[in-house]
Amino acid sequence: MMLETVTALTGAPASLDQGEVHTSQTEPQAGSDERTLMSRVLLIEDDAETAREIMAELVDRGFEVDWAATGIEGLDKARTGEADVMIVDRLLPGVDGLTIIEAARQERVSKPVLVLSALGAVDDRIRGLRAGGDDYLTKPFAIQELIARIEALLRRPSENRDTVLRVGPLELDLLSRTAKRGERTIDLLPREFRLLEYMMRRKDQMLTRAMLFEEVWNYKFVPRSNLVDVHMGRLRRKVDAPNEEPMIHSIRREGFVLRAPA
Amino acid sequence: MRLPEFTRSTTFRWTLAVSGAFILCILLMFGFILAEAYRNLTADVDALISEVANSIASREPEQRILGLDYYLRADPLRVKLGGLFAADGRRIAGNIETLPASLRVDASAQLVSLVKMNDGVREQLAVRAVARGLPEGGTLVIGRSDYEFTWIAHIVERALAVGLIPALGLSLAVGVFLSLRAQRRIEEVNSKIQRIVAGELRERLPERGTDDPFDKLAALVNGMLGEIEVLVRRLAGVGDDIAHDLRTPLTRVRVSLERARQKAGNLDELRTSVDQALVGLDQSLAIITALLRISEIEHSRRMDCFRNVALGDLVREVGDLYEPIAEDKNVDFAVRAEADTTVHGDRDLLFEAIANLVDNAVKFTPQGGRVELSLLRKGNEAVVRVCDTGPGIPADESELVTRRFYRSDKSRSDPGLGLGLSLVSAIAKLHGFSLKISGGPGCVAELAGLSAAA
Repeated sequence: MMLETVTALTGAPASLDQGEVHTSQTEPQAGSDERTLMSRVLLIEDDAETAREIMAELVDRGFEVDWAATGIEGLDKARTGEADVMIVDRLLPGVDGLTIIEAARQERVSKPVLVLSALGAVDDRIRGLRAGGDDYLTKPFAIQELIARIEALLRRPSENRDTVLRVGPLELDLLSRTAKRGERTIDLLPREFRLLEYMMRRKDQMLTRAMLFEEVWNYKFVPRSNLVDVHMGRLRRKVDAPNEEPMIHSIRREGFVLRAPA
Repeated sequence: MRLPEFTRSTTFRWTLAVSGAFILCILLMFGFILAEAYRNLTADVDALISEVANSIASREPEQRILGLDYYLRADPLRVKLGGLFAADGRRIAGNIETLPASLRVDASAQLVSLVKMNDGVREQLAVRAVARGLPEGGTLVIGRSDYEFTWIAHIVERALAVGLIPALGLSLAVGVFLSLRAQRRIEEVNSKIQRIVAGELRERLPERGTDDPFDKLAALVNGMLGEIEVLVRRLAGVGDDIAHDLRTPLTRVRVSLERARQKAGNLDELRTSVDQALVGLDQSLAIITALLRISEIEHSRRMDCFRNVALGDLVREVGDLYEPIAEDKNVDFAVRAEADTTVHGDRDLLFEAIANLVDNAVKFTPQGGRVELSLLRKGNEAVVRVCDTGPGIPADESELVTRRFYRSDKSRSDPGLGLGLSLVSAIAKLHGFSLKISGGPGCVAELAGLSAAA
């Protein structure tokens, strides 16, 4: 009920029962760009209510969504469909979602997967999956967290070998471990350097606190809410001087984005 | 026919068995007495009649009739028998009708059946008798009825009737009484147990203070029930705490949504209210997530993801994570991880446990205070110690703080889920580590586990 209320307020289409929904007219929000606008998502989720909520939000953000209510149907669609990313609920009727993913992988379906799971933080198989580069999200989750992770999966940073990262005036030298904004040298602590590197590799993307915590600190647990904010605050004071156009933006209740000044 | 319930009880059956054995003993005893009496009496009678027979037989023929008459006449108990028979078997004198055929002549006394003639009345009797052959032919028979023995047997019979039957009745009555009492007690216990099963946890089994085995058992069961009641209440208390902790943010959500519905004039106002509602919902979700996580860790038996974890790195990383938080709060934060030890465990969970301890310490330490995170070695144990200069934990609460939702009364008003330490406790338990929380001037938390072999 609570999720429904939220969606209703954001103006999502009321009925979305059919399997396929095409791009809606809502303007793209923070973090979306031309590439994700046309991205197709395959959602394998047996609970119609949850599926509807997820689809409504994904469509709002400019995704095309294909919904499969059972594991078998999902596996079929994964084989033949043209989805760019899959969302798989772990608890499907009669089958573990991970089994579906394994089956798909054996048939050389290599699209990235986001697993939704009620539990499993202590589960080895989930860890194995994560190690393979895909992602998982524990229920209950905020819908923004799901969107941010889907976008992150779709836009994996290219494996460039550059030793210097650049976003607008910001420059990060990975060899000499130095950072500069224009002519100004930024003095960074090691953890701040790691944080900035991650954000520069994923510029223009919404990064949630949990994602930052997992990727930068490399620990999987839900930290106290302001833990990441405090670290981000310090980094921001160093990156964005008072007289400069801000580059690190915090999106209320969602996370942070690094953008080049307009 | 269906026997009453109590007849199937063990008590009743034992009573019956013991009564049976008792009666058998009495019968054996009386039997022995009778046998002895009979033997002695027979020997006396045999000696007596043999002597009389010899004495009469040794007289002159004409004197024998007189002697026999004389003997038979002095017989107030009417027990004497005698007969003088001619060689052809004709009776010459005495009160025996015919010479018994089975009676051996000139032998020792024996039991024979004969007919006594008594003033024309014939009477069939079984008596001890001897026969003596006479020199001129003929036979002398002297007998005596076993009157004394009959008398004794009669007494014994009456004694048995008077003693044994009431004794049997009494033992039956006792058996019935005991089994009925046991049965009643069981029924009483049964009905109490039914009530307890139905949820009346305050019920106890009846105790009579008699110190019998049944009472001791009841006392034991009551002790157990007390423990169970405490546990159940504690669980129920956790449920209440969860409900309470969820109600607070959910009420805020409701209030802000309601206000938005009535008062919001434009989209911005609506958004503000919705944002407020979302904060409340996130808080509720965080509580639920934390609870699920604790029970997941508590029920996790998987040790196969355990690796060797370098605690020094872990402690330094936690320090790195919390240093700015402490600095913002103006709390002095020191990390000492000189001793580098390795333990066998789950890196993420151990990190979470240490982070939670530090989180708590920073949260409860006032401005200008100090938090110290250190890694020590004590023998073959690795100890992660977090000390702070906060208000500390009273000694009587140090056990309670690891309980779910437990919050010291002093900290009731502070934000937090009240789940941090129970999470740490669950993680410690999974690893077989010990978690010790003690008060000092501040609070000292120690997480200790066996070092892994290098």
